[in-house]
Amino acid sequence: MQIKTSLSIAFILIFLTTYSQEKLLALTIDEGLKENANAVVRLDDNLIEVKAHNRFTYTNKRIITILNKAGNSDIGAAVHYDDNINIRKLEAVIYNAFGKEIKKIKKKDFEDVSAVPGGTLYSDSRMKYLSYTPINYPYTVVMEKEIEYKSTAFIPGWRPVVGFYVSTENASYKIVNTSGVDLKVKTTNFENYDIEKIGEHDYLAKNMKAMKGEAYAPAFKSYAPFLRVALAKFTMEGVDGVNTNWSDFGKWMNDELVADTQELPEAVKDEVKSLTANETTDIEKAKLIYKYVQDKTRYISVQVGIGGWKPMLASDVDRLGYGDCKALTNYTKALLDEVNVESYYTVVYGGNNLRSIDKEFSAIEGNHVILAIPNEKDYVWLECTSQTSPFGYNANFTDDRDALVITPEGGKIIHTKVYETKGNLQTTNANVKLDEHGDISAQVQIESKGTQYGHYTRIEDEDEKGKRLYYKEYFDNINNLEVLAIAFDNNKDDIIFTENVEVAASKYASKGGNRILFAPNMFNRETYVPPRYKNRKMDFEIDRGYMDVDEYEIALPETMEIEALMTPVSINNEFGEYTASIEKKSDNLLVYKRTLIMNKGQYKKEDYSKFRDFHLKIVKHDKSKIALKSTN
Amino acid sequence: MRKAVVIAFILASNLSFSQNYKFGKVSKEELKEKSYAEDPEANAAVLFKKEVIAYEYRQGDGFRQVREVQERIKIYNKDGFDWATKKVRLYDRSSTKSEDFLNLSAYTYTLEEGKIKKTKIKKESVFEEKNNKYWATKSFTMPNVKEGCVIEFRYRIESPYIQIDDIDLQYTIPIKKLDVEVKIPEFFVFNKQQNPKAIYFPKIEDTKVNRKETLTGKSRSVGSWGRVKSTRDYSDWEFKEFKTVVDETNVPALKKESFVRELDIYRAKLIWEYAAYNSPNNGIKNYSTNWEQVSKTINESESFGGQLEKTKYFESDVNALLEGIDDPTKRVALIYDFVRSKIKWNKYVGYRVNDGVKKAYKDRVGNVAEINLMLVAMLRYAGLNASPVLLSTRSNGIPLFPTTSGFNYVIAAIEVPDDVILLDGVNTYGASNILLEKTINWQGRIVRKQGSSAWIDLTPRKKSKSISLMNVSIADDLSISGKIKKHLTDYLALDYRERYYDSKNESMVSNHEKDKGDIEITNLDVKNKKELSKPINYTYDFKLDNAIEEIGDKLYMSPLLFLASEENPFKEENRIYPIDFIYPTYRKYAINLKIPEGYVVESLPENTKVQFNGTEGEFFYIVKAQGETIQVSVVMDLNKTLILPEEYLEFKRFFELSHEKQTEKIVLKKT
Repeated sequence: MQIKTSLSIAFILIFLTTYSQEKLLALTIDEGLKENANAVVRLDDNLIEVKAHNRFTYTNKRIITILNKAGNSDIGAAVHYDDNINIRKLEAVIYNAFGKEIKKIKKKDFEDVSAVPGGTLYSDSRMKYLSYTPINYPYTVVMEKEIEYKSTAFIPGWRPVVGFYVSTENASYKIVNTSGVDLKVKTTNFENYDIEKIGEHDYLAKNMKAMKGEAYAPAFKSYAPFLRVALAKFTMEGVDGVNTNWSDFGKWMNDELVADTQELPEAVKDEVKSLTANETTDIEKAKLIYKYVQDKTRYISVQVGIGGWKPMLASDVDRLGYGDCKALTNYTKALLDEVNVESYYTVVYGGNNLRSIDKEFSAIEGNHVILAIPNEKDYVWLECTSQTSPFGYNANFTDDRDALVITPEGGKIIHTKVYETKGNLQTTNANVKLDEHGDISAQVQIESKGTQYGHYTRIEDEDEKGKRLYYKEYFDNINNLEVLAIAFDNNKDDIIFTENVEVAASKYASKGGNRILFAPNMFNRETYVPPRYKNRKMDFEIDRGYMDVDEYEIALPETMEIEALMTPVSINNEFGEYTASIEKKSDNLLVYKRTLIMNKGQYKKEDYSKFRDFHLKIVKHDKSKIALKSTN
Repeated sequence: MRKAVVIAFILASNLSFSQNYKFGKVSKEELKEKSYAEDPEANAAVLFKKEVIAYEYRQGDGFRQVREVQERIKIYNKDGFDWATKKVRLYDRSSTKSEDFLNLSAYTYTLEEGKIKKTKIKKESVFEEKNNKYWATKSFTMPNVKEGCVIEFRYRIESPYIQIDDIDLQYTIPIKKLDVEVKIPEFFVFNKQQNPKAIYFPKIEDTKVNRKETLTGKSRSVGSWGRVKSTRDYSDWEFKEFKTVVDETNVPALKKESFVRELDIYRAKLIWEYAAYNSPNNGIKNYSTNWEQVSKTINESESFGGQLEKTKYFESDVNALLEGIDDPTKRVALIYDFVRSKIKWNKYVGYRVNDGVKKAYKDRVGNVAEINLMLVAMLRYAGLNASPVLLSTRSNGIPLFPTTSGFNYVIAAIEVPDDVILLDGVNTYGASNILLEKTINWQGRIVRKQGSSAWIDLTPRKKSKSISLMNVSIADDLSISGKIKKHLTDYLALDYRERYYDSKNESMVSNHEKDKGDIEITNLDVKNKKELSKPINYTYDFKLDNAIEEIGDKLYMSPLLFLASEENPFKEENRIYPIDFIYPTYRKYAINLKIPEGYVVESLPENTKVQFNGTEGEFFYIVKAQGETIQVSVVMDLNKTLILPEEYLEFKRFFELSHEKQTEKIVLKKT
């Protein structure tokens, strides 16, 4: 589902003619910059020279000191290239801690490999990278490169803080625009860092300390400084375009990338027309078309043609029965057009992380394409690369984020479907029989909706052994679990996944003298505790809310009596809700009830320990036990 | 009785429709098939696979290896779609030494309205990618693939190399009919064997057949590699060929399983080793005959034995290093550490040097051979009885035939009376006799100075120990505070070093806190982390909440607290492949628990001993209350490192019982 972009590479280009010898000495690094750092960018000078709407060069000089093994991946000595990218200069020199040269690597000595991302069958992109075996730490790499681009749709931006555990001593970024074409620049989060604006498009950053990753932290981009740049008039592999705002940029994408690819063979036109002839609403028609595409095609990623941005012809998809996200979305759109259902090709960032297209800054963005069907005031979002997804289901991958919807009139930024907390519901019901040895047998039913639907349907693909093993892992708090029967119901119309599982386990209850002891929460026990931080640095977030409801009926052995029950628990705070209780229906029948709600939200770092505490309490109460005593 | 069954079976199979495996003859029955009878869970099945390997003779060029592959694959459902894409890896060194992928022909067959529809692959669906200097990948993906379709393809690979790649005889989907034929001119002598770790072994038939080549205008004076020197004459050239045939039906799928890192090591395959060239004119040139000979050949080569002779490049450094040190143990330790700090491994494996020891020493970077041959040379120079040990890494398989390619790694050994000390200069955190897991593979071949060689066992015999002492007391609010002392030896110490060698204290603390519940760890103190020859000793204090259950007027707690995992890792009901622990372990936990004031013992778990296969695995649980304290002693002693599938159930039971015990509760009662 990947779109090839020249920008997807985590490195920055540099420019500098002279630098002081001091930068080669690892010993002179300021202590503050070494704190939490695996590597220190000593100097990173970037110069972009836009010569024309179809030509720019990128010159970069970068000096980085690698402090330890974990810092090796920060060297950033990789350059992607293809037919439109000419590497004019590429070299690296390695210095030891005392600034003594140990190795020089020329352009021809860089490893040259194909840069086909995982999951892609073919792409014409290649990569040169530096392969170096460090002898000692710290060491310093001086890299110089000069690259000429004939496509100007992607112009390298700037990230003065490269990532976690890397500090930056000195970095600069400058654009010289002699093309006469308007240039757009957007800086984000610069205000919170020591970044100086020296000239029109000329910035200098100093002494940016390394950041540490923390659990539940918001996306790096939401607080790290970065700069983006785009040309108002650009070329993508020979095709000219305009980009002053999302509207005209979207129009360009529509006209140049999508519009002429949708011709379908007559036979298929007739086929889908007759297929949908009896349906009256657009949504019903769209459902049939979506099913038709799911049955006819499969996902194969082949990245060629206009930087990997132009979809394959709809007629080719029809004939070959495969395509990537662009091709399959475009094909679905062509079929929908044929039956007069409006739909829009939509560019988005796909992934579990909620990453949005920047609504304020138009530029080539995104790594995935889906289809939007207007439905009253809202949209239905179709994931066209899946052969199994229910119609309109886009949880966990393209939900809750800004996307670029391309209409014939132009591009629009629209927020995709948000899966609300209480809709992300998992209901677990169980009938349990406990005997005097502590053995249990139970019938468990788990029903999942919303985002949770997507978490569980994958079990369907496992073989019998895999399914049994899955439940042994899922109910891993029960040792000696035997899975006796498994049945699923995947209701794609209502998007509910139901698992019916019959299990048994010996000695679930533990013995202590003539008592047995067991936790009534058998089938949905939370054990995860967020890590402890002495000094939490970052705010945190829960990106998707959910709700779990559990109810288990537990039949007790006749020969035992209840010695102690757990007291009911009810916790309610800004992070969510937790209730657990046990009700004695009769001498030998208990009903355990539990509700857990986790709210979506953004929280301050000061509240992190409260959040952790909430988890600790859940973990604690989830394992609370009941004691039974033998009556014999 | 048995006969009758066989006859009945033959009759039955004759009654079913006869399959036509000719290319293009896909039947309606095949297209209608809904699942694979012998393995209904299969998402796809290979209905027919034919692979023919032969050496075609071309005058002037000599023999050229030709591999012809034909496959017919049935795709039952969407999860089987991956089988509609095929990738073929080609060795691609240069224009003259490349493997060529030729004559691809491929079709997808679907049943549409009761009729067979055939869709041909076109150029647009065939790709070639140059991966790096040595390899290229040809791939193709089939058009019009739908549930129930059958795809069929054939292609040909021509290779200038004599060596035959391993032939896979098993896929992760079942194969209904497998047809393999290998024909090798008698001049090329191969050893072959099935993968001994496989669990499926097809029948293999070997015969010798006649072959005739008509040479026009050229004589049959044959030089090296079967190349013919030309003189004018016409003649027939007759010679023999070794023919190997596999003709199997219903090859079961290779199924995945937990604790198996590389499924491929269990795949049924035919492994070939080019052993000798038997020239029609010049007699036999042996590449390998027996292990003694192989070791000798390797030792005599410049890229191995030759490297051991060189000493000049390091002499002054080593002299300085050993100045005034006479104790051999100290000399070994000094040299071992010197090599590891001096030369870093460039990730290349092999027992032959690449750039040579001298250059590696100068550049401070080398492959496995450069590092370890240099290590041997230095040890010898220091007067120690050191020798290289050739071995095969786990992914390379176990050394089966006497051949130079059976090995792919070399380490160093020092022979002392009654013992051998193994050292690997690549193993950054290793120590004497502590090897990298991938190199612990059955046995290695020690090659001594005089040229003699012998097998030595690589499997660790010494137990790696983990000993934990824990003192625990319980406060009024039922929080627990305590102190832990931990002692780790050998491979368990290596494990710890691999995780934490470079870690800062703060991140180590949070790692030690992981999965231990509501814990806070302080005063973590790790000794000998960087002294690789010593055991790891660490201590820390902790405070733990929510580890005691108060129910009524009683307290319930597992005395092992977080030291015992609550979960039995062995969940499968049966196994196909063994579980390999690699080294034997001895784990002991000794706990002193102070009974809180106002409480007395209500009940304690019973003392227990559990055994697996006699003393191959032993578990002891001993608990006693003495005055104010409860003492618990738990031992898990695992001598056996390889658990075979047939022992699995008993082993699992052993683990279950010991786990159960470890989670049993102590009950305290208010006085």
